[in-house]
Amino acid sequence: MNCKEATKLMDGYLDGELDPITSQTIEQHLRECHNCDQAYKTHGSLIRAIGNATPYFKAPAALRERIQSSLRQEIAKEPVRNVEDSPSLFSARPRWTRTVSFGTPWSGLALAAAIVFAAIITFNLMSRLQRPGNDQFLATQLIASHARSLMANHLTDVASSDQHTVKPWLDTKLDFAPPVVDLSSEGFPLIGGRLDYLDNRPVAALVYERRKHFINLFVWPASSDAATAPKTITRQGYQLLHWADSDFNYWAVSDVNANDLQTFKQQFETRTPHH
Amino acid sequence: MAAPLKADYAFDTEDLESSAKIVKFAVLKKHQEQDAAQERELASFEETMLPHMDAAHNLARWLLRNEEDAQDVVQEAYLRAFKSFGGFHGSNGRAWLLTIVRNTSYTLLKKNRAVDLTTTFDEEIHASGHESVSPATLLERSEDADLVREAMDKLPVDFREILVLRHLEGLSYNEIADIAQIPPGTVMSRLARARGKLKECLAARIGKEK
Repeated sequence: MNCKEATKLMDGYLDGELDPITSQTIEQHLRECHNCDQAYKTHGSLIRAIGNATPYFKAPAALRERIQSSLRQEIAKEPVRNVEDSPSLFSARPRWTRTVSFGTPWSGLALAAAIVFAAIITFNLMSRLQRPGNDQFLATQLIASHARSLMANHLTDVASSDQHTVKPWLDTKLDFAPPVVDLSSEGFPLIGGRLDYLDNRPVAALVYERRKHFINLFVWPASSDAATAPKTITRQGYQLLHWADSDFNYWAVSDVNANDLQTFKQQFETRTPHH
Repeated sequence: MAAPLKADYAFDTEDLESSAKIVKFAVLKKHQEQDAAQERELASFEETMLPHMDAAHNLARWLLRNEEDAQDVVQEAYLRAFKSFGGFHGSNGRAWLLTIVRNTSYTLLKKNRAVDLTTTFDEEIHASGHESVSPATLLERSEDADLVREAMDKLPVDFREILVLRHLEGLSYNEIADIAQIPPGTVMSRLARARGKLKECLAARIGKEK
């Protein structure tokens, strides 16, 4: 190694950033070349002195507070990141409102389409009875209510297999007195009762069990002309069975099979006093 | 006929979750979880990055040569760093943060003070006289912090940058290459040139004093 090469590598050597072989070569040269050795020593001392004397501008204490508060503002400003698919806090409206109205930039087009769609449906519905649509909507509510009761660990408000416990409890909470019977001997033990809200009114939900499956029987007063033929709906794996007597509407919802639900209805009807 | 229309539409699009209560509950819960996750992320970020605030401030202060700008840049850099903290998987938080501080500083320099990026050497550096300063005097005077600072401030920004990263932060050539975004092979030569100019600059100021 000559002096020119050694000078070129001097800073790397000083900083200990050369590979071991190159370092050894430089050391060898410095042992042999007095000039380079002197230059290296002078350079090294000077650089160290300069490094020590260079002011280090530490952050003022206020900067830390300023940064921390701006980070918190950042979080508050953007509470949700990477989750554009998540509904906003205020979209807890029923989903159809969002879909039809202002959910997307296509809202104008969607609204127009919805109006046309609405006209067609309205026309079709007018030619029929109004009831099927209502039943479908109600069925959705019923299934949701049934599923929720099993999901949310809120099957019953009053857990009792004693109809004389469940009925008085419901009577005090509702503005009507639903019939409550225990059907244990028929294979449908009463588990309890619950308050629910369906079809824009508070309703009684009676909970029965059938071989580890649950049946929610929703009961509310029948409107005067509502007596209709029994009706079954199957949707999303759930069986819905509707019947009515002169006083009450009944909707039984369960995942038991249709025959079981029919049996349940018959047993329930037999055991409730007829008017 | 509004009711049946609504009813029918609802039937088509609603599912079990569309009960307002459940959606609201789920949304609230999700938000709580997100808030908690963000709090955890912020705590983790602060734990990793706040210890390097002095380094961040020092670099910005040297690059910008202005305290007010330096603080603005450090704050901005911390915000940027937090936003991209998800992409930080390394162990070298200081180098990562300093890269952001460096880039943020250059953005400001380009925007407000383009002249700083093209600054040439002060005339005095090229003035004669510094050759007469002996190495012993140079060494003695280079312990003077004010003098070193004045000399450093005369250097172009890329020299100030590399000198701060090496002399004050003690970073390796590889780390410096990452932060200054230059090939590792050029770190040594740039550092050598920066040191050479700094020595000239110091000598020039000492020579001028005489």
